[in-house]
Amino acid sequence: MNELIDHADTINALLARYGVKFGIYKNNQFHEQLFPFDAIPRVIPKDEFAEMEKGLIQRVDALNLFLKDIYGEKKIIKDGVIPEDFVFSSKGYLPECEGILPPKGIYSHISGIDLVQAEDGNWYILEDNLRIPSGASYPLIARELCRRASPRTFVNNNVVDNRNYAQLLKETMEHVNCGGIRVIMTPGRFNAAYFEHSYLAERSGAVLASCSDLYVENNCLYYKDYVGKRQKVGALYRRISDEYLDPLTFLPESLIGVPNLMSAYRAGNVAIINAPGNGIADDKGIYYFVPKMIKYYLGEEPILRNAPTYLPFYKADRQYVLDHLEKLVVKDVSEAGGYGVIFGRDLTKEELANLKKVIENESRRFIAQEVIDFLDLEIMDGHDQVKRKADLRAFVLSGKTTRVWASGLTRFSRNPDSFVVNSSQGGGFKDTWVLSR
Amino acid sequence: MKKLYFLYHMSWQFSGMVWDHAFALRSTPRTNSVQQIFGLERHIEPRERFTDLTDGFGNRLCVGNYAEAHDHFTYEVCGTAVVDTSKRMPSPCHPMYRYPTKLTASEAPVLAFLEKNQTPEGTAEEKARMLMQELYSQFVYQPGKTTIYTTAGEALAGGCGVCQDYAHILISLCRSCGIPARYVAGMMIGEGATHAWVEIHDGEKWIGLDPTHNRPADDGYIKLSHGRDYQDCILDRGVFRGNVSQQQIIYVGVEEMT
Repeated sequence: MNELIDHADTINALLARYGVKFGIYKNNQFHEQLFPFDAIPRVIPKDEFAEMEKGLIQRVDALNLFLKDIYGEKKIIKDGVIPEDFVFSSKGYLPECEGILPPKGIYSHISGIDLVQAEDGNWYILEDNLRIPSGASYPLIARELCRRASPRTFVNNNVVDNRNYAQLLKETMEHVNCGGIRVIMTPGRFNAAYFEHSYLAERSGAVLASCSDLYVENNCLYYKDYVGKRQKVGALYRRISDEYLDPLTFLPESLIGVPNLMSAYRAGNVAIINAPGNGIADDKGIYYFVPKMIKYYLGEEPILRNAPTYLPFYKADRQYVLDHLEKLVVKDVSEAGGYGVIFGRDLTKEELANLKKVIENESRRFIAQEVIDFLDLEIMDGHDQVKRKADLRAFVLSGKTTRVWASGLTRFSRNPDSFVVNSSQGGGFKDTWVLSR
Repeated sequence: MKKLYFLYHMSWQFSGMVWDHAFALRSTPRTNSVQQIFGLERHIEPRERFTDLTDGFGNRLCVGNYAEAHDHFTYEVCGTAVVDTSKRMPSPCHPMYRYPTKLTASEAPVLAFLEKNQTPEGTAEEKARMLMQELYSQFVYQPGKTTIYTTAGEALAGGCGVCQDYAHILISLCRSCGIPARYVAGMMIGEGATHAWVEIHDGEKWIGLDPTHNRPADDGYIKLSHGRDYQDCILDRGVFRGNVSQQQIIYVGVEEMT
């Protein structure tokens, strides 16, 4: 492993050269920045991963059943397990998706589940990302460069090879393919994850396309190549969000969507990966109910824990939140990417009082969680090893079976005082090793 | 019961050629327990090429595209509708019609209106009718003061608007006091443009109310589409390439057959 640390600069230079970048919009300007790689991997022992894997498969299976239920029979609501307004007043619920059963009944094909390990060694789920979770390409290319820089490291340590991600992706897309080619659709090079779109397309053998290469005719989606030849698209892994997907169904001003794509999808002629409308299942308010979903749909006890969460919507929870606000973290359910996260301990007395008022008046808008004592990970800060907060995004792929990629994106905060590790907030990343012995 | 002959004509005239034109139309009435549609004829230009689907709200959606260059687009539908509101059948209410949308949010003017015009206890229909009555007496029909983006609260504060605004305000008022409500786009007896009204759910069935005219939507109304608000019910959506100016003509004619 020390050898890898010695190669860290070379690997970062190569990552920069390959264009492994992260774009962010700040003050209306687009900045592309490198996604700093730290050479010390996160290491997950074999048994620990096996347990985590079971828990992730269980969770994603339940979330997929939830989506099918919400856009179908809505039994979980009728049975009173989830209050109706948490679903139908959420921005993530899209009535435009009512009455559509996606190919093979799969909604979340690629799920990015964020976890943290606590000081006591327990893993907690932080959030589910079922729309278009990004990040798999970073550990993938980093591993490749590490293997090149120090092949011996991977001979001496029993690390499960993670280079099968592209194959997993391909199989996942093929499983729901409605007849035709596989396409990864990008909004273009000014997207935060453009590197990933092109890399995954190349590795999985899919065609990388933007909206101007795609059109719908007779309820079928077609790809038009550079000589004008057209090919039917059977599986579309779109890396643009729902609201921009189809200007005739969602935002009319979208210039990066495909007109009438939703009609081709509704007619069953193309699989959209992930399904539109998934935002209802990874809503921060719905998160609270995922353990209940697991019991409801699968009749099983949840294997992985949620961070202890309170819904001010419920009277008892609200009282607890108001009484303990200074030690809790409050999240606005409608925000994402580390925005709208407030730590009670950072607030002045006056700010606490104001927040309490807002929570009382708009109880549906927030969740509150206990702050988890993260198990800090070692990172290199110059020549020193220091400890920083880190999380793990695990990738779960749902095709013929549900499988967990034996790797994942470990993100860390470079700022010693920060708990927020989102890449859009300027953090770095590590490779994630799962041991085979 | 009324037997109505209807014609809906919509055309776009472009100042030059456009291409890659995709469209999604919700202007084909469908048969339900209140209205039965017979002898439906449709005509679309420049080419008869489209497919029909049912959208997420249950409306008939006609979609298609023209890659080739063209300078006009016409969609025409005509037929006979037998409308009988006394035949209304019970139908379940989708929970989405209980919650506000951006255009129908319970904004301050809506809440203030409810505060000022408290309705006595009664059925959902009685309450909704009373709210409609109050709205009708306080709101003025005046085109040009609002746009398709005006919310119920904004329109109510402005004091005037068109049928779309009447509908949004009544929907917002109803949902704010727990009555499920939805937006309806359609046609009514007479000549001119399309119309918008409201349906409320009384716990058993959907009941049509026309707040612009302060009366129930009777046998002289033909529904084209419904949804949570105007956005869900837009009768014609389209996108195309081409740097042109455009002019839309809509003609609606509904007459009673004797």
